[in-house]
Amino acid sequence: MPLPDNPPPPAPPPGGSLDRRSFLRSTAAFAGLSALAASLSPLRELSDYTSTEQFMQKYYKEMTPDDMKKVLQRITNEVEHQYGIRPHVRDLKPMDGVEFVYALNLTRCIGCRKCVHACVAENNQSRSPEIQYIRVLKMPHGSMDVEKGNHTYDDKEVPDKGFFYMPIQCQQCKNPPCVKVCPVNATWQEKDGITVIDYDWCIGCRYCEAACPYWARRFNFTKPSIPADRINPEMSYLGNRPRKQGVMEKCHFCIQRTRAGRYPACLEVCPVGARKFGNILDPNSEVSYILREKRVFIQLKEEMGTSPRFFYYFDK
Amino acid sequence: MDQNPATSTASGSKRTVYALGATTLLFFGLAVLFLGDLWGHSPARQQIPLVDKSFLEQTPWRRTYSDLVRAKEDLSDFDCYGCHEKKKPPVLRFDANNILIVPEEHKDIVMGHGSHNRNNLCYNCHNEANLETFQVRDGREIKFADSTQLCGSCHGPNYRDWEAGAHGRINGYWNTALGQARKLDCANCHNPHSPRIPTRVPAPGPHALRVPVAAPHESATTH
Repeated sequence: MPLPDNPPPPAPPPGGSLDRRSFLRSTAAFAGLSALAASLSPLRELSDYTSTEQFMQKYYKEMTPDDMKKVLQRITNEVEHQYGIRPHVRDLKPMDGVEFVYALNLTRCIGCRKCVHACVAENNQSRSPEIQYIRVLKMPHGSMDVEKGNHTYDDKEVPDKGFFYMPIQCQQCKNPPCVKVCPVNATWQEKDGITVIDYDWCIGCRYCEAACPYWARRFNFTKPSIPADRINPEMSYLGNRPRKQGVMEKCHFCIQRTRAGRYPACLEVCPVGARKFGNILDPNSEVSYILREKRVFIQLKEEMGTSPRFFYYFDK
Repeated sequence: MDQNPATSTASGSKRTVYALGATTLLFFGLAVLFLGDLWGHSPARQQIPLVDKSFLEQTPWRRTYSDLVRAKEDLSDFDCYGCHEKKKPPVLRFDANNILIVPEEHKDIVMGHGSHNRNNLCYNCHNEANLETFQVRDGREIKFADSTQLCGSCHGPNYRDWEAGAHGRINGYWNTALGQARKLDCANCHNPHSPRIPTRVPAPGPHALRVPVAAPHESATTH
């Protein structure tokens, strides 16, 4: 205690009884320490999800296969500890000669939002609070202005007359603004065109969320909550493994499926076949055909110069 | 405060004591508040109900003849000559407005293929010579299992898109080297007798963070 050294201290009271000053000093010290301890107490909850191994983990691109094996083992154990389910966690690498492109048929989409929920189920997103990668905009006919869209429509039946529906998710830009602003390189674009996030490297500054013109990135404000019976055990490091509080997440074209050759979950659940996905470098793929033959509304917010890999097209 | 300022240093010391005392009390109060959590918890988040699993269903809403064959299921609905007589095509009856009268036995059929009631004849697609097949306008006979060819005989552009994979559903693997892709038939999604896809109940929309459902444009900014 930086008490000024002041004029003669009062004579020590006889019998060693407490004088005013030392009483105040010790009380202050005690109260200060307890306040410090109390204010640090939220740290106790941190131990739930930050292990030393994770803290000491290397940057994704610097990890050797051995390091990655250990990390995957750690994630497996953590998930099993938390949800009681032994997941199958992999780290799938991009394939050679593959660049993913998504195409969505605006003529066909009926706005049923099945894709939204299939995505949530596939990618282990928090159910409450809710995190959804896809937003379906209900838009009046005759306009492509997303400002006129409404994503909280609550109709009894869809599609509604006079409207079309436009689902928006991460556009996997060729020139992604979110990657440029990340101060720690926790998000980057992979060779197959998917912009990924390393949830263990993200510091949660949310710059990327602000930079994204498509409102595609989501932040875990609280600890995600997923009922154990809704966990998808087929996981990938850069994909759908459970996230923790304070990190960003977004659509990654179902990396755990697409890099294993499968279609994304939102595509498979679409009841009208409005969603198309494939390898643009393969001239025989559906998406190549669509970009070649169909009336494609080139890219959303084209003027931003982001050059999305997500295309909207029409039948008629 | 300083009623008896003996020296400036003495008054300074007194002030220090007061200040320290006040700080002590403040700290003490804060400690009590922290430990006792007397601010209370922030209001509990409204629990968002889980989505109904029917919205996660991937199976198409219709099953075609080929699906039934593949699943080795009852095909009696396709056994036309269980009721009809061979070589005696059923006669079509029309009402005063020249609209086909669907017989009682087939009353599950809703005629709605094409607008303005133009596609009003069963034998536009069904083969009157053999009810267990279809017929195309050029006279070819088509099996039930190949119904997509029948659809394609009129809907050329859509058939072309379907063949290329741009129309209709494909599930499974985009990379056929790694697994199979399953392309659904026309009749998996479209009812041939009234092909327009019916309206349906949408899955629940997004819940705004902590905010009860507000006007669309307001809640749009809170998520």
